[in-house]
Amino acid sequence: MARIEINNLTKEFGTLTALDSVALELEKGQIVGLLGPNGSGKTTLIKILNGLLTPTAGNVLINGMEPGVETKRVVAYLPDRNALPDYMNTQQLIDLYQDFFTDFNRTKAEDMVLDLGIDMKQQMKRMSKGTKEKLQLCLVMAREADVYLLDEPIGGVDPATRDYILRTIISNYNEDAVVIISTHLISDIESVLDDVIFLKEGKVVLHRNAEDIREETGESVDQLFREVFRC
Amino acid sequence: MLGKLLKYEIPALGRRLVPLFIGWCATAVLLGLAVGPAQSKSEFMVVITGLLYGAMATAVLVMSVILIIQRYSNSLLGDEAYFNQVLPVTVSEHIASKGISALIWVLLSGVAMLVTGLLIAVFSGVLFGVDIPWAAIFRQIASTTAGEWLALLEFIILSAFSITKSILAIYAAITIGHQAQKHTTMASIGAYIGLMVFETTIGRILVGLFPHLLSNIESVMDLNGFFGGGIFVTAALGALYFFICKYFMENRLNLN
Repeated sequence: MARIEINNLTKEFGTLTALDSVALELEKGQIVGLLGPNGSGKTTLIKILNGLLTPTAGNVLINGMEPGVETKRVVAYLPDRNALPDYMNTQQLIDLYQDFFTDFNRTKAEDMVLDLGIDMKQQMKRMSKGTKEKLQLCLVMAREADVYLLDEPIGGVDPATRDYILRTIISNYNEDAVVIISTHLISDIESVLDDVIFLKEGKVVLHRNAEDIREETGESVDQLFREVFRC
Repeated sequence: MLGKLLKYEIPALGRRLVPLFIGWCATAVLLGLAVGPAQSKSEFMVVITGLLYGAMATAVLVMSVILIIQRYSNSLLGDEAYFNQVLPVTVSEHIASKGISALIWVLLSGVAMLVTGLLIAVFSGVLFGVDIPWAAIFRQIASTTAGEWLALLEFIILSAFSITKSILAIYAAITIGHQAQKHTTMASIGAYIGLMVFETTIGRILVGLFPHLLSNIESVMDLNGFFGGGIFVTAALGALYFFICKYFMENRLNLN
């Protein structure tokens, strides 16, 4: 059974088709780049996998189940915005995660927070945008989940932190998990990707192994992306 | 999981409301001192502290309503929903935690009002020298019949259910309004008006069907029946609003 199964998924917002008959199967043990320009449907797909959007047609299955309480136990999600209560400090947010997620590894979270120099007593609302993003990622990656859905995890951070985040992702996911990273900063993440999915105007235009792309085309994923999505 | 949700939900409202309660109590003390037995009582101070007290009372009332709406809207349909809606928690638990927390804080607002009244009485000195007829009070309590106790209990339950139903009606309107792709606030207000029209219509139909319930309250048993019917209708409306929220969140959630 595939970790994630997406069957003829369509999502419409009024007259706009955000996702058009998307069909995918993603196995465990890989890091998948969900790549596409703004408005291509990346965030919509991730939201549907989380049960935050209702599909217009088709369905998604995680471990064979439609999004619900059971899938939420095994999916770790990093949204593209700050979603945590901003009046809480780092310590309180770690407590919050520990209370709700049985797969949350507190020691791992505290180590990552320490590595990134985030103050345990600082309130979220007093943190810079980058620090907020780093803290959210620490909390998400400290879970020992089956599926990680990371929506633009490196968008708002400096290059040094970007490296740390990518190292964190590689070293914190296990063989049984699948990690989906949505981004348009391809050159930064290309080295960690096993598979890539190109989304264009809500349709999957490519789903291949990253290494195969490099071998067969002689191009990097970043170069191929620029070709496919040339304006 | 409901307990865990409440562990975070109750303080989330309290951190905004408790300071208001404290401020309200402080203005009650000032008003009590201003109207108190001091020889040099100033009319000006009585007016100023009275206005302050009234302003704080209004602030508590308005803020309670705003915060209850805001907590639900932001937590389950706004930015924080991107965290809350991915917790391994059922939709029913989410709605129940918001409703219970809001009910607790509405009741605490009522307690705060009683406390401010007591503070005014104590600091103004009106309680000094007042002889409370405790013996008569206890005699009255001892002679209260089972039917009267039942009516009191029913009244308390009806009040709690009415508050909960009103909160759930607001939640249902927000949830329906959120289905609109644009102008969700206006859509929510429209939905609320629609729900209130529905409620009024149901009330009129019931009065038409059971006219004797309202016009013939002559005994404690009549009162028991009236309150009992009120509890049933209020609970049914509350359940309907709860299921409206649950249905839309489970089947039509669209966070944009």
